[in-house]
Amino acid sequence: MLRRDINELLTQTGPGTPMGELFRQYWIPALLAEELPENDSPPVRVKLLSERMVAFRDSEGRYGLVDEFCAHRGASLWFGRNEGSGLRCPYHGWKYDVTGQCVEVPSEADNSSFCQNVQLTAYPLVKVGDLLWTYMGDAAEQPPLPEFEFVQVPPEQTYTSKRWQQSNWLQAFEGGIDSSHVTFLHSGGLKTDPLFKGAKGNEYNMKDTKPFFEVADSEGGLFVGARRNAEPGTYYWRITPWVMPAFTMVPPRGDHPVHGHFWVPIDDENCWTYSFDYHPVRALTDQERQAMVDGHGVHSRNIPGTYRPAANMDNDYLIDREAQKRGDTYSGVAGIAMQDASLQESMGPIVDRTKERLVPADSGIIKARQKLRKAAIALRDEGVRPPGVDPVHHRVRSAAVVLPQAESFLDSCRDAVTVTPGVAQSSV
Amino acid sequence: MSLSQSARAASAAESRFRITRPIAPARNARVIALDRAAEAVARRVAARSWAAARFYACGEAAEGRPPEALALFGLDGVPPVALREVLAGTDVVVVLAAGDAGSRQAAAIGAACGARAVTTAGVVLGDGFEADEAVAALRPYARVLLLSADEADVVELLTALRV
Repeated sequence: MLRRDINELLTQTGPGTPMGELFRQYWIPALLAEELPENDSPPVRVKLLSERMVAFRDSEGRYGLVDEFCAHRGASLWFGRNEGSGLRCPYHGWKYDVTGQCVEVPSEADNSSFCQNVQLTAYPLVKVGDLLWTYMGDAAEQPPLPEFEFVQVPPEQTYTSKRWQQSNWLQAFEGGIDSSHVTFLHSGGLKTDPLFKGAKGNEYNMKDTKPFFEVADSEGGLFVGARRNAEPGTYYWRITPWVMPAFTMVPPRGDHPVHGHFWVPIDDENCWTYSFDYHPVRALTDQERQAMVDGHGVHSRNIPGTYRPAANMDNDYLIDREAQKRGDTYSGVAGIAMQDASLQESMGPIVDRTKERLVPADSGIIKARQKLRKAAIALRDEGVRPPGVDPVHHRVRSAAVVLPQAESFLDSCRDAVTVTPGVAQSSV
Repeated sequence: MSLSQSARAASAAESRFRITRPIAPARNARVIALDRAAEAVARRVAARSWAAARFYACGEAAEGRPPEALALFGLDGVPPVALREVLAGTDVVVVLAAGDAGSRQAAAIGAACGARAVTTAGVVLGDGFEADEAVAALRPYARVLLLSADEADVVELLTALRV
């Protein structure tokens, strides 16, 4: 359980809130690069941390993320004309560049300096990997760009999708460090999902349904180790890294690509789930990439032209009770992503954590909440820069290994959980 | 929605709805400090208000004696009591360690809890994980090991467990 005031602290990310300010210390995904595919392509509405903005790519290929509403009369710039190196409000023709600077007010006299004093709130928008990242904090404190491995490998080795999740970011994120649900909720996928099946590690997962956990601090967040019995005298460890505030990875399976998530608050009752797959040393195969596009693995099949999953709360996630009864899926909902999302959304937009009945196996979640709270308060009260801002903290990997029972996963897997370019993931 | 269903969380307000009912403390927890440094932490934590948690420090683990005979000292001043009595009626034991001095006791507690199907959790405090042997002794039994530099984790864990 969590006190009501702490639950509110962790789940509210609007401007001026402690968690909102914490998120504003980091580069966070704002949208997929595919959403602004070419110069002067249509602008895109972007809501992040409860701020409404519009993203656009100007005639020179520069990206901008600016206040959605025109400074003149408050019309949405989503209706704007993206032309001539700026976004022009179609109402009265006011035009803005990617920094939010007003560069033209047609009703003013030629050479008027009026527009120089009109500036929309704007944030940097930078392409790193398949994502456009923004930093919404104090410009003077802007950290170096993110260095997560999934955006550092060559394009042919990585794939990222996103989906709208109708819940607060925290309950979505908490699923990312909750290894104990995998054996139940995702058990069908271990046998059938093309991006999961066939790994030796899956057998350990299915044979030992009561994992033990070890939770340890890392420089950027946590490592959560889930341990299951393997061959006599050995344990099968699945190691999940969390980098603050909202980056998690799933331990790999065999030579399948490695996957993970970035959980980004839209507002307090919605979030974006960015889901990625990459392979550290080889290109994704056509079959793998197609499986990701089709919504397998951690990805979702979305309504065409949108990032809303085709299976969603309005259609009860297309639950199939016969598939549940047959054991094809454990919950009746198809796909790893929507199995998670359906249950997390069912908890309500912001789950009331004062009513929880947690157990020791939830220690990773308990510890993560504590780290978030402490970081938010230390930032608010003392200006302490939180873990996870330094790109060095981004260079982590998940791992799946078999170790002798006496060995500590932390001591034995330091190399395995650290990014080494050109070296494959540690996986079973 | 099938016709037999009378409600569906179609709005945020409906999604938030929960039947209001007081939640009783879920756990009759025992918190056992393995070594002196852990005992100091346990004393500070015990000074807070808890529903049903009881706090103990370990005595020496005598060779040749069964694990259940391990003597524990209540931090609230109660006389020494055998582990088997401490475990009677509990369903979760949280073991605190800050060093290796209590590794034999850790094994004894783990084994006794394992034999009684008592869920065991370990919080190992220290920057450099000075309690490697205690961790190794607890690992076979502890459903969770929290390796932490922060003693506030003990409070957080116990609070979350509603003890």
